[in-house]
Amino acid sequence: MDIGVHFSTLLQQIINGLSLGSVYALIAVGYSLVYSILSFSNFAHGGFLVVGGYICYGLLTMESIVVGGAVLNIPSFVNNIWIASLFALLGAGFVAVITERLAYKPIRERTSTTLYLLIASMGVSIVIENIFVIVVGGRFRALPQGTFPTTPFTFGNVTVNASDVLSLVFAVVFLGGLQFFLKKTRWGLAIRAAACDLRTAGLMGVNTSFLIGIVFFVAGLLAAVGGIFLSARYTLYPQLGGITTKAFVAAVIGGLGSLPGAVVGSLILGLAEMLTAGFISSQMRDLVVFSMLVIVLLVKPDGFFGKHISDKI
Amino acid sequence: MMATKTESRVLLELENIDMFFGGVLAVKGMSFTVMDNELAGIIGPNGAGKTTIFNVISGVYSPTAGTIWFREQDITPLMAYQVNRLGIARTFQNLRLFARSSVLENVMTAAQNRYRYSFRENLRGHLTPSYRPDPEYFYGFLESILHAGKWMSRETNIRKKSMELLDRVGLADRADQMAGTLPYGMQRRLEIARAIALDPKLLLLDEPAAGMNPEEVFALNDLITGLHKDFRLTTLVIEHHMDMIMQICPHIICVNFGAKIAEGTPEEIQANPEVLSAYLGDEEAVGE
Amino acid sequence: MRTKSLIGNAAFVLLGLFLVFLPLSGYQEGIIILLCINCIAAMGVSLLTGFTGIFTLGHAAYMALGAYTTAILTVRLGVHWVPAIVAGGVVAVLVAWLIGIPTLRLTGDYYAIASIGLGEAIRLILENWQSVTRGARGFPGIDSYTTREAAVAFFVILGILLFNLINSRLGRELKASRDDRVAASLMGFHTPRSRMKALLISAFCCGISGALLGGYMNFIQPSMFDMMKSTELTAVVVFGGLGSMSGTILGSAIITLVMEYFRDISQYRMLIYGALLVVIMVVRPEGLLGNREIWTFIPGLSGKSNDRRRDK
Repeated sequence: MDIGVHFSTLLQQIINGLSLGSVYALIAVGYSLVYSILSFSNFAHGGFLVVGGYICYGLLTMESIVVGGAVLNIPSFVNNIWIASLFALLGAGFVAVITERLAYKPIRERTSTTLYLLIASMGVSIVIENIFVIVVGGRFRALPQGTFPTTPFTFGNVTVNASDVLSLVFAVVFLGGLQFFLKKTRWGLAIRAAACDLRTAGLMGVNTSFLIGIVFFVAGLLAAVGGIFLSARYTLYPQLGGITTKAFVAAVIGGLGSLPGAVVGSLILGLAEMLTAGFISSQMRDLVVFSMLVIVLLVKPDGFFGKHISDKI
Repeated sequence: MMATKTESRVLLELENIDMFFGGVLAVKGMSFTVMDNELAGIIGPNGAGKTTIFNVISGVYSPTAGTIWFREQDITPLMAYQVNRLGIARTFQNLRLFARSSVLENVMTAAQNRYRYSFRENLRGHLTPSYRPDPEYFYGFLESILHAGKWMSRETNIRKKSMELLDRVGLADRADQMAGTLPYGMQRRLEIARAIALDPKLLLLDEPAAGMNPEEVFALNDLITGLHKDFRLTTLVIEHHMDMIMQICPHIICVNFGAKIAEGTPEEIQANPEVLSAYLGDEEAVGE
Repeated sequence: MRTKSLIGNAAFVLLGLFLVFLPLSGYQEGIIILLCINCIAAMGVSLLTGFTGIFTLGHAAYMALGAYTTAILTVRLGVHWVPAIVAGGVVAVLVAWLIGIPTLRLTGDYYAIASIGLGEAIRLILENWQSVTRGARGFPGIDSYTTREAAVAFFVILGILLFNLINSRLGRELKASRDDRVAASLMGFHTPRSRMKALLISAFCCGISGALLGGYMNFIQPSMFDMMKSTELTAVVVFGGLGSMSGTILGSAIITLVMEYFRDISQYRMLIYGALLVVIMVVRPEGLLGNREIWTFIPGLSGKSNDRRRDK
């Protein structure tokens, strides 16, 4: 009996872990994608996630809008998760592209030192976070009841939340879609070429400015998917973007700039976190995450799938 | 130092060096010796593995197989900084100056790191070759942060030596300029000054004439032979300019596809059919 | 050379005396203390990021270590505050040494992300080690040992030592390993050891800074030393100009004063701060002073050429 209980906890935590890991993967893949093209850590990535979350929340709860004194009632079909998510994805992608155009492009064109991009991205992340603090307040907000199915599935002793299964399924769908985009389309090919060498890709006739725009749009879009599922899981607040630190850790464990690495790292991280929460203590989960980072980097300083860059001497 | 007595001793010996990069052969079965106080040259077409040989000697890579002897000591397992402290300095084919420091600081960075060759008794009571900082150019951490004790006199020594060397390579009037802003030819000479500031026994010059015009190459030849003579500096030069090596090096090693194909005096090398065919396959070098 | 060094040190002491004897209100005095505390930490990070090229996003953790060590020593064990502050620096150094061994092999963004992870890990340990640190609710009742004199004294002493350091063989060693690690190792520098030296010194400064902060606030809490604080330290250094110690001090002073100025509209404070970072990077990415020290901008005072003539 005792073993049986442990076993069902184990199964349950594995499914929870995979589900959490898949959400991390959505975030980490976008971050890694940007890194693979521009070789800098985009700390504003967490901001895109929050933008997605708030747009979704806003559309789900909004009943009317005031335009020039007139109160317009929002038709109720807008308060639908599909419509809200669609706008959230597009909105976050749009914010990502705007960020790139306004903040990164001028720096990128002036210098090749990626450190300046990194600092600017931190600035953007602070700006986005605080815009939400000012406009909507720092309160924790839950997505409305019934947005996601709440009926738990039960297989024997194992109870699984429907939203966990849902996030796992959607993560697989979107990551598959990204894979299809990168492998089967012309722009996907161009992005993969640019990841090898952005300059050469530019010389070969790829419009690199447009390409970087696409990359940021895709990254923002994936972050928004992650943001919606994270706000379903933990509620929504302006500092939710801070959770991307874990996605960054996952991407580093997998190897910076490697998309399969980001997915594998995220799943490992999600599993480690949920298993720690289930069997040791919930407070230890973050500590385990960061210790894992150190251990992996000790053994493999370039992560699992990272390219080792050696200088030409 | 008694140069006359050490004249005929072997300084550097490579013994059957193999270097593979993940299965790709870069150097195969390389053996040669450089005598003390010699000016030797390595020639070969582009991609023949010349720079790899330097990287192996200077400890950047450890060879897949084989042994490197320096002053009768096996230096194969040593790290780059240890090899350097034992008395091997080098320059780089793709310039590697400290670009954000001044010209003078570049040389001072090397001059503060002069090491003297000495011996240390190991556990079994044998004397093993070792190095210790040259006390004339060294001071400790506390003296660094307090600017006290030997800081003043040692720093003056370092600066004086560096200016002397800058003067020697003709860069004294550029001492305060940022190194990265120097013209190309001057950057090459600065690298040489920086390497010599380390007071090495063996100097490795990696394509010192690359990107220079004929006049500059002529001046460089003078500089290299002059430094070789004045500092009793054993020098090993890599070049793919045949002419330059032929003019200054009495001892030439010719490599192609990672292996040695000929060795001897300039006359012997010029008469060697294998060398000719290697170079005929490399039109760029012939053209130059 | 000696005179130049003495003039520099004397200028620093004069600045210190000015800050100590300037008649100020209590509020203004607080700002001076905060300024010194922020500058000490920023100078430490400057040595690591600006002079050694190691980009850190976790140095607030060393401040936390210094703050907690000093708090525990003074409040629980009754140690005098001066040795307690130094002990805070030393504990930060010891932890930095343990952390440095595995992580200093990493380069670029790998180190940056690892430093975030380790910084957060230290914060989490402080938060969960209830019996020693009193956890997330914070550690109250710290003596107000950080007077204006104490803060200025630590700032002046550490400032002089750091300026001396960068104008010495160690300074050149660090810059060499920043500019080209391979070339530095082929100049006989054991570059991992050089990087370690920079990390330990910077951790010491941050430890001292954290210890002083505890004495100023009378209260410390793990959340005061989060990633935001680490980011601020590095941002200040970049703002002042990488590779310029005087730029770091200037940058730190400006940011501290600007943030103080906007204290009344605290809601917008962080927004302005974030926007400022972006604007600085877009308009002047090399920072206020670039790679130069402030006195090189004063004509006739760029002592290098004078020095050379004297030596000859």
